[in-house]
Amino acid sequence: MYPTLSTTLRPDPALTGHERRVRPDPSRRARRATGLGLLLPVALAACGTTATGADPGEATTRVDGGTIVYAHDQEPPCLYGGWVQQAYLSRQVLDSLVSQAEDGEIVPWLATAWTVSEDQLTWTFTLAEGVTFTDGTALDAAAVSRNLEYWLEEGGNSTVAAYLARYYADSRAIDPVTLEITLTEPYAPLLPALSQAYFGIQSPASLERPDEEICEAPIGSGPFVVEGWDRGDAVHFTRNPDYDWAPENALHQGPAYVDGIEWRFVHDPVARFGALGTGEAHVVYDVPTPQWEVAEARFDVQQYITPGRPVALGLNTVEGPFADRLVRQAFAFGTDREAAVTSAFHGVIPYEGNGSISQSTPGYNAEAADDYPYDLDRAVALLEEAGWTEVDAEGVRTREGERLEVSIVYGAGSIITAEGTTVLQNIQDQAKAAGFAVTLVPATREELFSGKYSGPETYDAKPGYWTSPTAGVLHITFRQHLEDSPNFSNSSFYNDPELEEIIVEANSTLDPTEQDRLYGQAQQIISDQAASIGLYTQTTSIAVGPELRDVWLEDSQGEPVFHDAHFVE
Amino acid sequence: MSAPTTLPTERPDQASPGGGTGEAPRGPEPSGTPRRTSPRAVLTRLVSRVLGAALVLLGAATVVFAVQTLLPGDRATLLLNLQTGEAIERTPEELAPINARFGFDDPVLVQYGSYVGGLLRGDLGTSFQQHEPVTQVIGGQILPTVQLALGALVLAWVLSLITVLATAGRRRWIAGLGSGLEAVAASLPHYWLGVILLVVLAVQAGWFPVMGGTDLAATVLPVLTLAIPLAGFLGQATRDELDRVLEQPFVLSARTRGMGDAAVRVRHALRHAVVPAVTLSGWALGSLLSGAVIAESVFSRPGLGQVLVTAVDSRDLPVVGGVVIFVALVYVVANLLVDLAYTVIDPRRRP
Repeated sequence: MYPTLSTTLRPDPALTGHERRVRPDPSRRARRATGLGLLLPVALAACGTTATGADPGEATTRVDGGTIVYAHDQEPPCLYGGWVQQAYLSRQVLDSLVSQAEDGEIVPWLATAWTVSEDQLTWTFTLAEGVTFTDGTALDAAAVSRNLEYWLEEGGNSTVAAYLARYYADSRAIDPVTLEITLTEPYAPLLPALSQAYFGIQSPASLERPDEEICEAPIGSGPFVVEGWDRGDAVHFTRNPDYDWAPENALHQGPAYVDGIEWRFVHDPVARFGALGTGEAHVVYDVPTPQWEVAEARFDVQQYITPGRPVALGLNTVEGPFADRLVRQAFAFGTDREAAVTSAFHGVIPYEGNGSISQSTPGYNAEAADDYPYDLDRAVALLEEAGWTEVDAEGVRTREGERLEVSIVYGAGSIITAEGTTVLQNIQDQAKAAGFAVTLVPATREELFSGKYSGPETYDAKPGYWTSPTAGVLHITFRQHLEDSPNFSNSSFYNDPELEEIIVEANSTLDPTEQDRLYGQAQQIISDQAASIGLYTQTTSIAVGPELRDVWLEDSQGEPVFHDAHFVE
Repeated sequence: MSAPTTLPTERPDQASPGGGTGEAPRGPEPSGTPRRTSPRAVLTRLVSRVLGAALVLLGAATVVFAVQTLLPGDRATLLLNLQTGEAIERTPEELAPINARFGFDDPVLVQYGSYVGGLLRGDLGTSFQQHEPVTQVIGGQILPTVQLALGALVLAWVLSLITVLATAGRRRWIAGLGSGLEAVAASLPHYWLGVILLVVLAVQAGWFPVMGGTDLAATVLPVLTLAIPLAGFLGQATRDELDRVLEQPFVLSARTRGMGDAAVRVRHALRHAVVPAVTLSGWALGSLLSGAVIAESVFSRPGLGQVLVTAVDSRDLPVVGGVVIFVALVYVVANLLVDLAYTVIDPRRRP
């Protein structure tokens, strides 16, 4: 069986036999391999793995019930928190006020309507009626207000704080279904921010419980309930039978079709993908790029290009060789990052030339992404201009006897995957031509997160990313780091009052066109300064087996949504 | 990993392991001094063993404490960053509640004192990350790891004995095949072997589940992953001895009495030949626990190994300490058992 068109093996929405919206829109978020590249891997698939038999397009009848086995990678320490690994899990049990649909449109969820005052300082949300938490208590405005207090005043979620601390003033319940949030300054990205799972609403009674209980089983109003957590193995979710308040962009209202989810933690990519082939898992996370085309031929593969900051090299603008803008620019010109990325990820994950905002983010500046094409001559000229004129016996440039040595510290296995490490190794090799001696320093998760490599004296460059549905993330990643308002997320240590002013102005601009222009301007400044050099987009992918339909990746951060999922026969 | 042949010499507490083992029986203990067997001597020996074991455990706990506490980087920052997925510096205001909660601000000696004090009271502490008592964190995960380690040890013994008995002291090419197999097995890295077994027997052939679990079917491949290299080590150690023993006069005399080859090997020669492998087993049980870290990860199997990796990643001192103390305890107990085993195998060592 050698299909000539990859589309013949994909589930056809027209054949599924019931009303559904097609998602995700492949043209926007998903990039699929096309053309000749497909033929060889399909041949490998035919001889390399056991056949699944059924064409995914054949089965059409929805079967209610059943438990979805989902194989995920990392197991976080708690099911609720400010890390995307926690958002994956808490998204299953918590609902947010709003949901982000495709193309950045914000649609109702727990909030059915909202208005903002003329001065943009007062937001009023009307809440859906009849919503109950799974502990039986009712969701009302006071409950939401209690969550805001928990996140921002009790340190309940520091990622929420990263977005809102500067802007949040107060919140109160005007009546049971009307919530008012007041801000200190206008903040236009409020709605996209609220659509993320970090902002999932928990039952106030749940929040009164000790930390360890919130950690093990957050209680919300979502389509599923945490039934139990076998650490090191799986989290078990069961269906919330009363659920009737899915976001507007869901495919159906009412309780989930399936009985529950068995959320397994399978760290080994070979085992994870293998489990889908043998039918032990129905959905697997993070399709290995070497197997990408095999996966596309046999399964429903969905890719989500995360908006926010892409995986980019933050260059240390205050200490070491990169303190000189010319040297930073020389490094950008002197490395063929596009080739490095394409080869490391087998062409599956896109190169991102923009160092501050990824291509799937509203307000992305596409021109800034082309500022530094591979140009060895320009790199050399810039280094000469910066005084690095001599070349020693090993081909490394020197200035007054000092060698042009730079260290790249990267979170191996935590921030940077094995394939991402290959990108860095490629860059290390490429940079030799211009005369850079690059040292790669792998940091364990423990070293990285304990702050060993946080200060400007500890690295010359450090790759990082920040998933966010809005270009307003620039306020987190490039706000100035000042004595009285420190910003350690600015990994380039790049302090620029003008840049901060533009970002703040953009955050306070409601008109999307004007806002995009300002965000674009901010990205251009960062690019001109070469403070952060783009590598690739942070990307989520899942593969869904042929017996399951309508699993989708939500749009603010790419978490899998199982509320609409159902088995077919 | 150390070469197996060097291992016995790394155990100075072992009373002359080679002493009476490979040699032909020469009647009474050759050393000459008569062994004292008074109850008092036994008691003294027992007390000193227990004290020694306690010191070993305290040493292990101290090393863990030192490593976890004195490494560069800040523990409160680490815990906060792990909650948010960011690797950034934190302000003192953000860190203050965490420092207060876990006492990270106290002088190191005070922290050490309270940690060891807790241990002496039998209190392993509460996990920094999971907010649960360590006994609970570890207790829930011990069984699958113990099953894995013991299963691997037993299987390794079976595999090595079969190979050695079938091939040692045979024609050159058969013996060569046996020792060649052992050398290859002993040099297989756990990770590589595990992935190969996973791909071939689980993903391709579909004989075993790909995603682990702790039932019997899911236990087979992780046990094989740990048992095959260990069988190589044990086989090598046993084979050298067996080759030597088979050339001893008492073997010849047994044969001249008309005893069959299999009986000579199993009933006479084997008893002498297994002593080095028994010595190795004490070490092996401990090393199986560390090998379990990899096997559990490859086969997505819950267990102590995964607990340890997560805890080290988050510098969760109570949990790391708990696992290390448990493993140290296993070493201590295993070596006591090995000593006991000598006396079973070699009656001359009985008091």
